[in-house]
Parts: sequence; structure tokens; C-alpha cells
Amino acid sequence: MIKQPNVILGNDELLVTMGRKGDILGLFYPRRDHAQHVEESVACIHTGEKLLWTNDNDWHSIQNYIEDTNIVSTKLYHDSGIRISILDLVHPDVPALIRRFKVQSQKKISGKFFYYSNFNVGETSKKNSGFCDADARLLVQYWQNYYIGIRSLPEFTEWQIGKAMDTIWWTNSKYDMEDGKLQRNKEDIGNINNAAGWDLELEADGANEFVILMGAASSRSLLYKRMHELSKLPLEYIFEKTREHWVMWLAKKQVLKMPGLEGQNNLRQELFSAYNRSLLMLYLLNDREYGSFVAAPEFDSNFEKCGGYGFCWSRDTSEVVLALKHSGYPEYCDRFFKWCIRTQLPDGSWFQRYWLNGDIAPSWGNFDYSTQIDETGSTLYAMDVYYRILEGLKKVEFLEEVWVSVLRAAEYLMKRTKSGIHESCMDLWETYYGIFTYTNASIYAGLMGASHLAEENGEAGLARRWKKRAEFIKQATIDRFWLPEGYFAKGIINGKLDKTIDASILGSYIPFGMLSPKDPVEKDMILFLMENIQKKLSVPINQGYGIKRYENDSYIDGNPWIVTTLWLSEAMFALALDLPNEKDEKYDENVKKMTSEGIKCLKWALAGATSTGLLPEQVDKSTGKPAWAIPLGWSGSLMLDNILLLDKLCRRKVGNSAEG
Amino acid sequence: MVKDLFMFAGFNENSQIVWFKIIYSKEPGSLSLITDFLEKENAFIMFGHLDNITQKTGEYSVFTELKKDIDPEKFARKIESLEVVSGVEYGISKYGMIYSVDFPLNVIGVRGVMARALTIVDIIKTLNESVPHAEGLLTISGLKGGIHAAKYFKSIMPLNDNNFADVLAELYRAVGWGILEIECDPETCEGKIIVKDSFIADVYGASDQPVCAFMSGYFAGYLTEYFGKNISVREVSCKATGKKVCEHIISLAPSGSSQEYQTRGEPR
Repeated sequence: MIKQPNVILGNDELLVTMGRKGDILGLFYPRRDHAQHVEESVACIHTGEKLLWTNDNDWHSIQNYIEDTNIVSTKLYHDSGIRISILDLVHPDVPALIRRFKVQSQKKISGKFFYYSNFNVGETSKKNSGFCDADARLLVQYWQNYYIGIRSLPEFTEWQIGKAMDTIWWTNSKYDMEDGKLQRNKEDIGNINNAAGWDLELEADGANEFVILMGAASSRSLLYKRMHELSKLPLEYIFEKTREHWVMWLAKKQVLKMPGLEGQNNLRQELFSAYNRSLLMLYLLNDREYGSFVAAPEFDSNFEKCGGYGFCWSRDTSEVVLALKHSGYPEYCDRFFKWCIRTQLPDGSWFQRYWLNGDIAPSWGNFDYSTQIDETGSTLYAMDVYYRILEGLKKVEFLEEVWVSVLRAAEYLMKRTKSGIHESCMDLWETYYGIFTYTNASIYAGLMGASHLAEENGEAGLARRWKKRAEFIKQATIDRFWLPEGYFAKGIINGKLDKTIDASILGSYIPFGMLSPKDPVEKDMILFLMENIQKKLSVPINQGYGIKRYENDSYIDGNPWIVTTLWLSEAMFALALDLPNEKDEKYDENVKKMTSEGIKCLKWALAGATSTGLLPEQVDKSTGKPAWAIPLGWSGSLMLDNILLLDKLCRRKVGNSAEG
Repeated sequence: MVKDLFMFAGFNENSQIVWFKIIYSKEPGSLSLITDFLEKENAFIMFGHLDNITQKTGEYSVFTELKKDIDPEKFARKIESLEVVSGVEYGISKYGMIYSVDFPLNVIGVRGVMARALTIVDIIKTLNESVPHAEGLLTISGLKGGIHAAKYFKSIMPLNDNNFADVLAELYRAVGWGILEIECDPETCEGKIIVKDSFIADVYGASDQPVCAFMSGYFAGYLTEYFGKNISVREVSCKATGKKVCEHIISLAPSGSSQEYQTRGEPR
């Protein structure tokens, strides 16, 4: 069953996803993409009469992050008068989740507090092994060199290791809790689950606290030592250390000012919060060792309804690392481009998607006709953007480092664009095979970037050749795909021009700059296509409108997407900044209109976030709630880009020359 | 229990199947007045069901076959004009499918559905063929149903050592799952359940392994809830494996560290 998280937390080695009631949905260790060790992990209360699972519908929840941190507060309210406050945090230095449960009740309770887990250690339910070391008061489950352990304060007084899905159902820890006491079976193997229990004696309006430490390690002895040491640390100390870690990391960010937005009903504050949340979220999607990012924490590992999201796409990640760089975090570019050099295929292209360690991921893009050429174009383009930002020695070193990779990628693009438009491949949405406006624009940008890098590297001949091809592609794309209706066709599918309007044609301007607002004709083209996208792809919901990907989109009900909506607003903000200033009324009017329309899109995106502020991939077109992949890194990076552009616009408007 | 059901085998294009739910005052002879009226108006009564709403009023649900040209709305109003009748609802079974006056169906206190046995067995087969631990999964699914059933019966009637087995058998028969012969000693919680015409084994087809884990789980859930002790039920003989009937053995669930071995094959 697919379950979407409402919140995520973690550190460099651990990523935890949770539902809105504090139920753990995923625990990824040691990488963000592998292995996911949890099937279910949740607290419950035995009132003396019955079990109350804290993720049941009977509970109402309020969940949010502690400001500027990846520390989570969840408050649960039950109709019977029981209230549970959960504080969740991951220690900044060791892969351990610390969960503090404070249980309060209006009525007297004489029952039990249970913590139940169904671990699939090593991402498998097979051949797991679990035991309870009663002396060390440690519950352990392991598979090969993955160890997950549970310890607690106060120490649990009873436990069960049982079969999770077996005909001997009475050993099942889930059922063992029903009668309010656990059987204390010490070990078992196979598909197993576990529970720990404590007495819960509450006077009316009384409170009890239970702290669960859930740690991961690569060996039994390390787990024992880690859990032992952790349990000696006061929770207040860990909390402060963790809070400080996040606050310090955020302190490195590019500072926003947003002058002029003060009057707009908390908008300024909301944007500050969204900026911080996007940064903190992206931290958690990044693999520190390899530099790659998962598109989103995996939630469909069986590929039941999609192809999964727990992998690295170089297209998405190129945008993510550049957004982070613009936000004050250049190190992500450094590491990611090193990863790109390592993962480039022998033919010079990049594969559809990868595991975070660079291994080829499950894919439907194994052939020339099914690969996504835009990923190569995007990556090459991003390398040049990064190079342009760098200064001094760093610039020289970077060019030296990436040059061979640039050469190979550019020649791959040359090979596949001999006619001026690319050979048939898969589109960026992974839905169609054909020739696409977006892909052509990405190749244009890639070759223009490569040309610049070649020039910088003293290879004038190559620079000329690649630039000439880029310009050829631009002209061919305009000649063949621009429609009299005022937008680019999606592309050529099954040999026919497909006039479906697709939001990805925005790529011809943002990010790839194939159309320039400095050219009057191209400026009009940008305005026309933006207008047509608004007209034909808007979906009204949440007191505004979001942009869906394309007409007749059927993927997950054809919802509006955060990515496409923020893409449009980014184009609006960029255009407002790029419009040649003719110092007339019309110019002011255009800038004002672009800015206010862009802000509407931003507000819409924020309204579609989770209660914790995480941006999803989509927004449900009927309910207005966040939909599908949560959080999506690409959505987060576009939010950063948008906010930075808006900040620049605001500063320019008030005449601040320090535009960032 | 499932009630007000009618299955119309066959299809007559010159007639229509219409049900009426008639609220009437329970005076002597009032029901006869209604049935006489229906007969006089050529409404062929196919199935009827009486329900005593209060001491003074009753509900008579009746399925009728009416000629095609009769307007059910007008007909309902005619019935309503009878002195003893205070209200009439009606519905049309256009295609003669299984139909219930009260939608949705109610089975032991909660919503129920009707399905072909094969529909459920197809699900079971798919699980057995494709899912690891399918037998455990089916056991646990059944367990939940059995627990609910016992809880429900305890809430509406005094469930005791004299009737707990009969209630379960009646339920199985009513919902068409099978005919049960239950021997279970409430003192020792040991015994066996013979299932004749198990809907699973009957339509599953030949199998090397017993296929009624869902039923074992259901029995275990029912008995566990009734006895207040963990009960193990396992199918030792199954019609799908070529046996005459299905047989499930009841025992107290073992406790202690070697519990697995006590329930699986020979003790080691």
C-alpha cells in the first residue's frame, strides 16, 4: 500500500519519513535510496480495555517542524481525552532517531504504552533475525550488515519478537498487544515484528514520558556501543545539539530581504519560511558521500503505480544544485559534478536515472530511442552555469576537472542532432517517444554552455562548431515547432507534429534561454507561450490556479504540478527582471503584472504544501491537498529559484542596487 | 442477517420486477387486506418479508411481478391509499438481478456484500500464487473477521458454552460459506470443525496443499474472542486435496519459546 509522508527528518546517514500522526513510513540507512528498513513503526496505548493505535482515524493530529530545524513536533488528540505529544529528532552525528512521547489523559488510565515495529531490515522481509537482549534492554533486528536497534528511557519492561505474517498468529507482536501484555519471546527469524511495552499508570490529567531510541549500525557491536552511549545523553542536550546543527547550517544561506512585501498579509514571512524549509528539505535528499540527490524519498518501491522516485535524475539534480548554489551552498555543485563525471556513460550521455552511488537504476531508457537526451543537455548546461559563477583558482580547477566530460557530452549531442533537431528519444515526463521542444532547448543550452567552456579552455574551433550547431537547433526548433497560435508544439510524436500544449515548452526560456527577451520577437514569443500555458493548462483549486503538465495528462489524475506552476512563475519573475527597461508606463505595468501573477503562483504552491511546509510534486485537483511524491526536490529547488528572483525584483523596485 | 433478497432467474420482457416496502398498522386482518389488494390488481407476489417495527406498525417488503405497462409509482400510491397503509416505497429491478429492499446489505452489524464464491477464491488463488506468506496473510485476514463476529454476537445476545458453536454454524450456513459440524470442549478449548461444502475448497480446484487458511483464521478469531484465550486452528484435511470434507483442528495456542515447533509437523 502506498503511503505518502507528511514530514521527513534525518542526518547524513539516516533519512526518516513519517505520516501526519508520527507513524514511521520509511527509515533509510545508510543511503537515501537504500536500504529502507521499516514496514511499520508506531506507538499504541492499551487503555486497560482496548488498544488505541496512534495512527488510527480516531486521532486528530497537528504536525509541524520546530522552526528552522528538521526537528518534528506531532500532537495527537483522541476523543477519549488522551493526548500525546511526540518530539522527533535525528541526532546530527549518528544514525539514530530519538522519539519522545509524552502521554496525557483527562481520565485515569491503568494500561500499557506499546511501541510496535515491523522492520524489513535490508529492505527485505526474508531471512531477518530479531532478538531482545533483556540484560541490555535492547531490541535488535538484523540482516547481513544492517542492524536496527531499539532502546528506551525508561527501560521497557516487556517485549515480544514474533512472526509478522504467519499462521501462528498468536506470536505476532501486533496481536500479542491485544490483551495488554507481551509474551517476552526472545528471538525469532524470518518475517518478524517486535513490540516493547511499559506500564502506563496515569491519574486524571497526569502525564508519562517515554523516549524511544531507534538506531542503525553496520555491525552488532557498533549498534550496542552506539545505543549504550546515546542512552546516557540527556534528551535536552541532544535536542539543543540538533537544533544548533540546523540553525548553524541555515546561517550560511543567502540572506533574503524582500523589501516592499511587508504589507502583504504574512507573505514575506511565509516566503522566508518556505525558503528555509526548501533548503532543509534538500539537505535531507542529498547523499553527502556521493553528491547525488534522490528526486523524492521512495514511497513506491514496488513500482505499483509509477516507476519510483528514490533515484537520482541528472536533470532534476542539475536544477537542485544550482538553486542551492544561488542560495549560498556551492558545495553541492562541486560534489554533484564530480558524481556526473563518474557516472557519464561511455557514449558521453547520462543515463535516465541512477542509484545514488552511481550505479545504473531500474530504467525504461536503456536504448538510444528510449533514453532522455535532455538529461545530457541539462547537465552540460548546469556545468557551464556553475563555471560562470565561480571565480579565480576555483574556476580554473573546475574547468580542468570537467573538460573531458564536457567534450564527450557535447560530441554525444552533436551526434544526435545532425538534422538540427534531436533524434527520437523519450520526453522529460517519461511518457512519449519522439522529438520535443523541451529536449531541443536543453540540447541548445548544453551546446552553448559547452561552447563557452571550450572557448575558456582555448578550444576556439570546438567552441565555434558547438555554437553553430546550437544555433542551428534553435532555428530548426522555431521553424518546425512554433505555431501560429503562439506557442511551441510539444514535438513530433509518431511522425506527426503534436500541437498539444505542454508546460515544458517554458524550458525554451527558463532555464535554457533559447529564447531571449532582449530580442523583441523572441520576447513576444515568450509572452505568447506564457499566456497560452496559463489559458490552457490552468486548473483552479485552493483559491488560485495551478498548472498541469499538458492537455489530457492522465498520470495520477492529471493534477496540477508544483514544478510546472513554479516554472511559470519563475519565467514571469525572470521576464520582469529581463525586460528591457524602456522607462515608460507600459514597462512598469508589465513588470507589475508579471510580479503579481508570479506571486499568485507562489501562493498557490505554498497552499499545496503539507502541514509541515514540504512541497509535493502535485496538488490534488479535487481536494487541493498535496499529492504524489512528497517532498519533491525539484519543487523545492524551483521554490528557491523563485524566491531569490522575487527578492531581486523587490530590491530593484525599492532602488537597492545590491541585488544579491 | 441477510434478508429481503430475491434472485430472479430468467427474464420476462413483458413484466417488471418491482419491490414495495409497505408500512402498515397492525390491526387484525390488515395484512390480508394488502395481499388481497395486490392479488386483485394482478401483482404476482414472488417473495415477501415481514418486519415488526413497533407494536402498532409493521413493515411488509414484497417483491412482485407486474405487467410492463403498469406504472409502479401509481401502483405504489394505490397501495398507499389503503386505509391500513401509512407509507409505501418502491424500487424496480430492471434486469432481474439479485436485489435487496434495504441497500446496503447488512451482515452481522456491518455492511455486507454478495459475491460469487469464485470471486473470493480468485483473490485467494492470486495471493497464494504471488505473495510470500500468503497462508499467514489469509489466516490473519480471517482472524479479524472471526473476532468481529464473536464480538458482535456477544453484544446482541448471551453467547455461552451452549450456543457459541451453533451460532457460528448458523452464520456460516446463512452467508453460504459452508455447513459446519463443530465439536469443541469449552473446558479444554480443544476439538475440531468439519466443514462440508466449503466455498473455498469447492471452487478452488485440485491443490496439493489445504486452501482454507482464511477459514482456519476465522474460526481462530471467533473462538479466541469467545474463550478469551489464544486459540490455534489449523486445517488438517481439505476437500481441495481430494478429501471428502475439510477438517480444522482446534487447540489452545502454545506458549513458550518452542511454540513454532509445536504447531508445525513433528516435534523436534
